[in-house]
Amino acid sequence: MSSITLENIRKSYGRSGPAAIANLSMEIGASEFLCLLGPSGCGKTTTLRMIAGLEHPTDGRILVDGKPIVSVADGIFTVPEKRNMGLVFQNYALWPHMTIRDNVAFGLTLRKTPDAERDAIVNQVMTKLGIAKYADRYPAQLSGGQQQRVALARMLALKPSVILLDEPLSNLDAKLRLEMRAELKRIHAEAGSTIVFVTHDQWEAMTLATTIAVMSEGELQQVGTPDDIYERPANRFVAEFVGSLPINIINRGAVETGPLVAWLDQVLTHFDIDAAPVASAGIRPEATRLGRLSEDEAARCAAGYGSVVDVVPTGGSWIVEIDVQRTRFFAIATENPRLSAGDTTHFWVERQHLHLFDREKQRIAL
Amino acid sequence: MRKDKNINRSDAMTLQTDSSEDTQRPQPATKRLSYLLRVNSADPTLMLALLLLVVFGYLILAPVVLLLIDAVTVHFADIARTKQDLGDLTFYYLNRVLVSPISRDLFWWPLAHTAIISVAAIVISFLVGAPIGWLLSRTDLIGKKWFSTALLLPYMLPSWTFALAWLTLFKNRTTGGQPGWMETFGFNPPDWLAYGALPISLILALHYAPFVILLFGNALKQFDTQLEDSARSLGASPATVARRIILPLMMPSLVSAATLIFAKCLGDFGVAYVLGAPVGFDVLATSLFRAISTSQAGASAVLAGVIVLLGTISIIIDMRLLKEAKRFVTIGSKGAMVRQTPLGKWQAPAFAWALLVFIISAGIPLLALTLTTVMRVPGSFSLDNFTLDYWIGTDLGTTALRQGILLTGEFWLALWNTVWMVGLAAIGAGVLGLLVGYAVVRSPFASVSVALRQITFLPYLVPGIAFAAAYLSMFAVARPPLPALYGTPIILVLAILADQMPFASRAGISSMMQLGREPEEAGQIVGAGWFRRMRSIVLPIQRNALVSAILLPFISGIKGLSLVVVLAVPGTDLLTTYAIRLVDYGYSQAANAVVVMLCVVAFTGTMLVQKIGKANLSDGMGSK
Repeated sequence: MSSITLENIRKSYGRSGPAAIANLSMEIGASEFLCLLGPSGCGKTTTLRMIAGLEHPTDGRILVDGKPIVSVADGIFTVPEKRNMGLVFQNYALWPHMTIRDNVAFGLTLRKTPDAERDAIVNQVMTKLGIAKYADRYPAQLSGGQQQRVALARMLALKPSVILLDEPLSNLDAKLRLEMRAELKRIHAEAGSTIVFVTHDQWEAMTLATTIAVMSEGELQQVGTPDDIYERPANRFVAEFVGSLPINIINRGAVETGPLVAWLDQVLTHFDIDAAPVASAGIRPEATRLGRLSEDEAARCAAGYGSVVDVVPTGGSWIVEIDVQRTRFFAIATENPRLSAGDTTHFWVERQHLHLFDREKQRIAL
Repeated sequence: MRKDKNINRSDAMTLQTDSSEDTQRPQPATKRLSYLLRVNSADPTLMLALLLLVVFGYLILAPVVLLLIDAVTVHFADIARTKQDLGDLTFYYLNRVLVSPISRDLFWWPLAHTAIISVAAIVISFLVGAPIGWLLSRTDLIGKKWFSTALLLPYMLPSWTFALAWLTLFKNRTTGGQPGWMETFGFNPPDWLAYGALPISLILALHYAPFVILLFGNALKQFDTQLEDSARSLGASPATVARRIILPLMMPSLVSAATLIFAKCLGDFGVAYVLGAPVGFDVLATSLFRAISTSQAGASAVLAGVIVLLGTISIIIDMRLLKEAKRFVTIGSKGAMVRQTPLGKWQAPAFAWALLVFIISAGIPLLALTLTTVMRVPGSFSLDNFTLDYWIGTDLGTTALRQGILLTGEFWLALWNTVWMVGLAAIGAGVLGLLVGYAVVRSPFASVSVALRQITFLPYLVPGIAFAAAYLSMFAVARPPLPALYGTPIILVLAILADQMPFASRAGISSMMQLGREPEEAGQIVGAGWFRRMRSIVLPIQRNALVSAILLPFISGIKGLSLVVVLAVPGTDLLTTYAIRLVDYGYSQAANAVVVMLCVVAFTGTMLVQKIGKANLSDGMGSK
């Protein structure tokens, strides 16, 4: 239920090492369910650990509810023990020498909670997460999914004001992922806690978060709802990073005048868009329409034309690889396209599915 | 949600005015320093690492450095002879030990003797150990499991025990006291059989043959038989395979065993003392002991320095080769297959050979030692010759030791001293080893880690007798904050502790490496401070590692003689030094009884460790 503010955070390792995070500022509202999304090495886990206090920024401030817990310039650093934040580690980090009950109760014992109250809280949390029957076992005797529930219980028993999760679903199989996702959503809804988690997995990010912050090389690329991120990527990086199959990118370079560029120009003209600032365009495979059109129809929706190289069924959808005079274009059909290798097909795109970027690779608003 | 890169600095300043005094704002630099202090106060790892560096700088580095300085500075007793002032730089001692007329007796003969017995011990232990290593790792030898423990027995017991056993069997009138068995049988062994190079080499060889058995056997075990098979399928004869494939791949482990045995022989004091002293056969270790006991501080520093140098060279060679060996292992062990060779009609001779080695290297010596303690005249098997007097008798006709060992106060004092001093040192080494492991693995500065790791490894390069000499240099006089420690139990405890640090710290480092950071960070998140994390998380998780990091040094400390023989005085006798004192007095039965007790303690301890933990003898072999 606390808001978190990061101000001008810089983090570098070693005295004059390169900055892992150069200058990061962001605000996480109270009760927000925020995901830090990015490829490995983008600084997202470092950011999470700095919020938890396990790493310290080289410069900048971190505020919780407006009060600084870290401020380099003022010599303020609140140790992690005193931050009342809950962190669930990627590999859960349960204490192997303690029973499940002791794992969950340890934090309360440290706080000198009276025994009766402590036992009540521990039992309640374990029951809620369905691990009460394992209370006297040791972590090594539990499956991965059960261990994660223990890690969650250990964290929830302390009623933290901020919940931090490191790749919460990554070690689970498909079925457990759905279960755990529902669990986390429920925790968020019930407790109204502020939750921050990091992942490199966009499925995890899209399905869990109310807000996604995309990071790359220690810099924030875009912050928005999952729909924002997917439908209106702020720049080329976000457009290319998000999406199950990589987005088709068409570069309008001065030198490059491939067949797809010609098609793109045709599309821009068709939608009456000024082509001058457009340096590149992105078209998601799943937003691409396929079909054989008459010449009239093709002109009406500015369709391109190519021959099918391969059709890959993925169970419920079909990936169609199209050759447009030796450049590749991918489309995803949600109904069987009834095409096979060697067939020719038209492909076209609707105006709202066209992502255009300028020379700085930033989005051009339409 | 906003993305704001331009937060105003003055804005940031005003926000914290309530949290600090605002009249006199210190410079940002001091603020930054206080920030770093605050960050590090949450995590005293660096403090711990620095503290450990100071402690071991004092307990390990300083004695060794002082020893080396002692070798080249003028001592009080030699001011007149050197015509230099106290503490001046001098080559007098180097000259005396290495060049002067007495250098032959002081250094060159002992060096030659050391070289001879080392080479002989290496050759014999290979002849004995290599076939057994092969039999135990690659054949269907009957009783293999039993043999693989029984044949390591000599290494579990102190080396000089076997020297005493030899003396019990072969001693002649050159030394006084009770007769040897051979004498009693009517055969008077000549000096060359009873004392000197031959028995010393033989005993060292049999004592260190387990090195060869273990190292060579392990290497063979990891050796992929597919490598042999593919060579054979290409048409190589068995002899060619042995020469071109097996031998080169075994080379690192063989040379490694050889250098280890050399390093051990270099520092082995007890065997040469027991068997060499009667005929004036000195090795470097005994020459050093003599120099120390005749208060030649400068000369002993030079001798100790030479031993350290030789030890260091051989250990460095060994480490190089181990690295080499590891490279081979990774290549060889992918999908490795080990085939057992059926012995067939060779089963009986092979079994006989293994049994013979066991009988000679462990059976006869231990039996002779034990039997002697219940015989009035050693080696005489008439019924009235047997007695329990040496254990529990009273009013014996001897001058000093007038009652059985179990009724003697000094024995129980020595036993108690052994238990508490070695025990305390072992506990200290184990706990410090774990802390060193923690500091090395967690220290934010790599240079501190490296320094700590190397400093705790240093005693490994310094043979026990030289390390003892270093401790004399350091603690014979008051070194603030400690007073002069010679003659106190403290010097023994500190020396044993420091001497065990190489093993203890390596055990600590490897178990901390396996632990990882997360369990502790999880504790931090739920509110546990550093001491609480150590107490409730790190130490409990490392309990098993800690137990073996205490027990293995304990066992090795109980057996150790060369380190403590220099430092112990009658009031602080340990079992080992007490036994040697009894040998000096010529009380064979009593000495043997003490040794038997010592063997029992060492053997049960070793077995206990193997039962309790993952730790086994081959781990302990790296330590001294």
